[in-house]
Amino acid sequence: MNILASLNQIKTYLKGDISPEDFWREMDEKSMSVEHIDTLRERFAHMVIGEVKELKAHPNADKLRIAMTDIGNDVVQIVCGGANLAEGQYVLVALPGAKVRWHGEGEHIELKETAIRGEKSFGMICAPSEVGFEKVPCGEHDIWDLSTFIDCAAGTSFVDALQMDDVMFEIEVTTNRPDAMNIIGLAREAGAALSVDFEMEEVLDIPAAEGEKALNVLVKDDDYCPRYAAVVLDNVTVGPSPRWMQRDLLLAGYRPINSIVDITNWILHTYGQPMHAFDYDKLAGAELCVRFAKKGEKMLALDDEEYALKNDQLVIADANGPVAVAGVMGGKESGTTEATTTVVFEAATFQKTSVRKTARALNLYSQSQSMFEKGLSSELPMHAMKKAVHLAIQLAGARVVSEVYDVRKEAFTPDVKTLQPERVRKLMGVNLSDAQMLEYLTRLGFEVEKAGDDYRVTVPFWRTDIEHDIDFAEEIARLYGYGNIQPRVPAMAPPVRPADKGPMEESRLKQLLMGAGYTEFYSNSMLSELDFIRYRLNPEDAVKLHNPLSSDLTHMRTSLVPSVLLGIALNQRMVPAGRVFELQRVYTPEKNDLPRESTELVVAHYGFNESELAFRQLRGALDLISVRMGLTFDLARFDGDERWHPTQSAVVHFEGKPVGMIGAPHPDILTSFKVEKEVMFLVLDIETLMPHISSALHYDAPPAFPSVERDLTVKISTKKSFDEIEAAVKNIDGLVDSVRFVDDYRAGLDSGMMNLTISISFRADDRTLTSEEVDSVMERIENALRA
Amino acid sequence: MKNELKNLRAEILEAIEGVSDLSGLEDLRVKYLGRKGTLPNLLKGLKGLADDARKEAGAFANEVKLSVDEAFSALQIDLEAKSRAEAFAEAHIDITRPGITPDIGHLHLTTQAIEEIKTIFSRLGFVQVRHPEIDWDHYAFGALNFPEDHPARDDWETFFIDDAGKAAEGENGKIVLTPHTSNGQVREMERSELPIRMMNINKTYRRQVSARHLPMFHQFEGLLIDKDVSIADLLGTFDFFVKQFFGPERKTRLRPHHFRFTEPSFELDVSCDVCAGTGMRENGLKCKLCKVGWLELGGAGMVHPNVLRAGGIDPDVYSGFAFGWGVERTMMMKGGINIPDIRVMYQNDMRFLEQF
Repeated sequence: MNILASLNQIKTYLKGDISPEDFWREMDEKSMSVEHIDTLRERFAHMVIGEVKELKAHPNADKLRIAMTDIGNDVVQIVCGGANLAEGQYVLVALPGAKVRWHGEGEHIELKETAIRGEKSFGMICAPSEVGFEKVPCGEHDIWDLSTFIDCAAGTSFVDALQMDDVMFEIEVTTNRPDAMNIIGLAREAGAALSVDFEMEEVLDIPAAEGEKALNVLVKDDDYCPRYAAVVLDNVTVGPSPRWMQRDLLLAGYRPINSIVDITNWILHTYGQPMHAFDYDKLAGAELCVRFAKKGEKMLALDDEEYALKNDQLVIADANGPVAVAGVMGGKESGTTEATTTVVFEAATFQKTSVRKTARALNLYSQSQSMFEKGLSSELPMHAMKKAVHLAIQLAGARVVSEVYDVRKEAFTPDVKTLQPERVRKLMGVNLSDAQMLEYLTRLGFEVEKAGDDYRVTVPFWRTDIEHDIDFAEEIARLYGYGNIQPRVPAMAPPVRPADKGPMEESRLKQLLMGAGYTEFYSNSMLSELDFIRYRLNPEDAVKLHNPLSSDLTHMRTSLVPSVLLGIALNQRMVPAGRVFELQRVYTPEKNDLPRESTELVVAHYGFNESELAFRQLRGALDLISVRMGLTFDLARFDGDERWHPTQSAVVHFEGKPVGMIGAPHPDILTSFKVEKEVMFLVLDIETLMPHISSALHYDAPPAFPSVERDLTVKISTKKSFDEIEAAVKNIDGLVDSVRFVDDYRAGLDSGMMNLTISISFRADDRTLTSEEVDSVMERIENALRA
Repeated sequence: MKNELKNLRAEILEAIEGVSDLSGLEDLRVKYLGRKGTLPNLLKGLKGLADDARKEAGAFANEVKLSVDEAFSALQIDLEAKSRAEAFAEAHIDITRPGITPDIGHLHLTTQAIEEIKTIFSRLGFVQVRHPEIDWDHYAFGALNFPEDHPARDDWETFFIDDAGKAAEGENGKIVLTPHTSNGQVREMERSELPIRMMNINKTYRRQVSARHLPMFHQFEGLLIDKDVSIADLLGTFDFFVKQFFGPERKTRLRPHHFRFTEPSFELDVSCDVCAGTGMRENGLKCKLCKVGWLELGGAGMVHPNVLRAGGIDPDVYSGFAFGWGVERTMMMKGGINIPDIRVMYQNDMRFLEQF
């Protein structure tokens, strides 16, 4: 969670000055990540307070006016469209050179002296959002009327007029450290990181009640509300809070509302304890009961939305029903207004998971809720309550008129853990003294006591993140500074153990396919139900997500083919032909166990003209895989099904078992994926093949004598398959080394016949063949094939 | 005879004067010098001469033959050179015509990044292993020191597997699409002998999608467990990787952070290459790419004793470090690859894929 922290406010809790640069560097390296720094004197450079002396109509624009504005040393002419502009008003003037965001949007723009519709304008009169104060209430077409907000002369710089000579830091506090998501917590961290003494302010106890207003405080389930404190204050004047408080809130990103609400927000920002203020007179039965919502209960919240509550959601209720969703947001009707005179301050601790689940379920979020869901200490509420009551007395004339109700599950006992200095030294790789370790821990508020070789460490209440002895190692190491530890490459002997075969061989296969000219597809492993149906797969047979992010990513893929077809459909217009592959995991459910993850390979050609050629090229790819991966495949013609083409597909077998398919998908599949191009696939179950994959090398001595090539063309039935011919040719004589397909030609022949050209290679191991020898074998081959 | 020879020489020399190509020259050679050519014919007459006259005419005939041969071969050389030059001129290539790229394939950017990362860590003795992408929440969370009610275990952050409308459950809890590769930590401890140096690179899933976040992305997990492993070892390993992957001029640092399964936990920063780690551009403006000269690479930490214990390892004897970061992010940080919307990564547009 990111916190906007004022350096001035942090410094009020530190003895000794610190520079913004030191704060930034040391915090970033030793405590919390500093995301952004904002020096306000720079941000508000060339911005001054102006007094509007005279307003004139703009001769060329209805919605613009000319404001003659006193900027101290001069009265300048400024063209302005502010609807609420009035003579005598104090306004924020951004002079030429200032950087503003037009209408609070886009990049910062440096102002120049200019003319607007023919009238000179020396700078601009700003709305709050144009200088970064989005939270200041202001009408859409209005400018920021500062008349009641400042008491200084025209010409005073804006930063001085608002007492904002400050440096703001945006700090990212990790979720385990809610104690540092506030000014005091950050000051404590800064004190430790910069070795400057931290000093908590002294807050007096809440004064005794001066009157008696009854309040009935009940906590029904203290597991969900370990502490609930409340006090009634009357004689309250709800008006604007003082300027310093409004300034603090504005800089921290809060919207100033009224003195009472502002106090609770200021406490949240400064102390880190969310608080709530109820209007006492609107609490039916003067009752505050912490309980689960009842069926059918609803509440109109401060965001003006009505929420239907469920019975696992904790609420604060009066005699009539919920007046706040516990830890999340207060109700509109019981909230404080200008008319409120008696308030109830609440400071409580709610169980973090319950707050989180309620907020998610209601889709209702607030600064308080985001603090509670991190887990706050039940010690914190009373510290905050005391300060809040004193502020209310001081700023709103309040009087304490009830006892301080404090319903608590159990008294606080601080956690005690052990610091083992030797262990910390080992883990850091640094020979740090015990004394230095104790110094770091003490600065952070830990109390340390010697216990043998080790130390007993008492954990301060706010450090809800400390769970284990090892946590001290982090506190010590970070304050020592990770940058002070000398890096070393691990010098121990590495373990002797081969890498897992799967990833290793898959990466070899990918390289092989890339070398063969294929481009790798890489798709999301989640598909939609529709994608399964398009490929005639049953989504019921797939791993289904319980909480998918969107309806197009609901099931884990059981095949890569749909992904590849989606990819081809995407590409077919711009890249009309291609050769691609995808080699990834697919997932199949297992009863009462984890899904089975297995690697599949899909190689695809698309956008070709000749199916048989594409098939042969894929078969060639299969041959390449076979050689390089040490696998032997056989093909068996496949008569097609709903996924595969009836006359253009085959099953790939390995050791007699089917391990894949090669061929064209059924045309209906292409149609359902809106693929308009021809496609040919090779699909292999790599997982099954994996144990047999081998990269073992094998050497055959090159033949000592040359081979002789002869071509042969025979007229033959188209039904005769090449492998039959090959076998027949090889069978004729041992001199036949190999038979290659060259071409077939059907034009001008009777249907069912073709002129087949093959090329035959002859070779003997012990001699160079004579052409007479080859001629005689050729003759026998011709006779055999013609027979 | 001598005169005849003289005349013939004059005739030959004049004849070859007018020759402009090799075939013309060859014709003349045959005509005058060939077996039945003019000169040999004339020389046949030598036989009929008296000894002295034959001797004198013979010597002169030799002289003539030599000079004619010389003239022929000189011209031969000239004409060959000319013909070669013509052939070269004929063979002129327009070197400005566009190249024809060899028809090679392309590995996906993610595959390339994984290969490169893997290669660097393997030099430090880390071996690649494979652990499930879909795993028990015990390995993804419980064994990693995440309490039951941790927000990462909520429905809105992590994908769960469905079983008839409910989140599927088994012996080891629910089944999740792993939100990080850290599920491999305890799995590796359970199956491996000590010491351990493993890398687990896998798909990971989170319920997020934007120009910068994908529901499916990749993580790279490194785990080293041995005796006396310290933060210094992690720093050294990280530094080694960064200098190999990003370049020797890049610097590294650790910043405090928080992860459930490591203690202490860090964020790993790499110095920015655009502003050379200064945070300022040459034009005097703040560098927009980095945070004051540093870029965040990923998370790391010393393995939490509870995690070691969950993996059956005694934290009093062994310690270790683990790191994990996004493959896509690491690759983009290398510079040169400016992908404004990361969603293009897994859409398979060939015009994207073939750029790498």
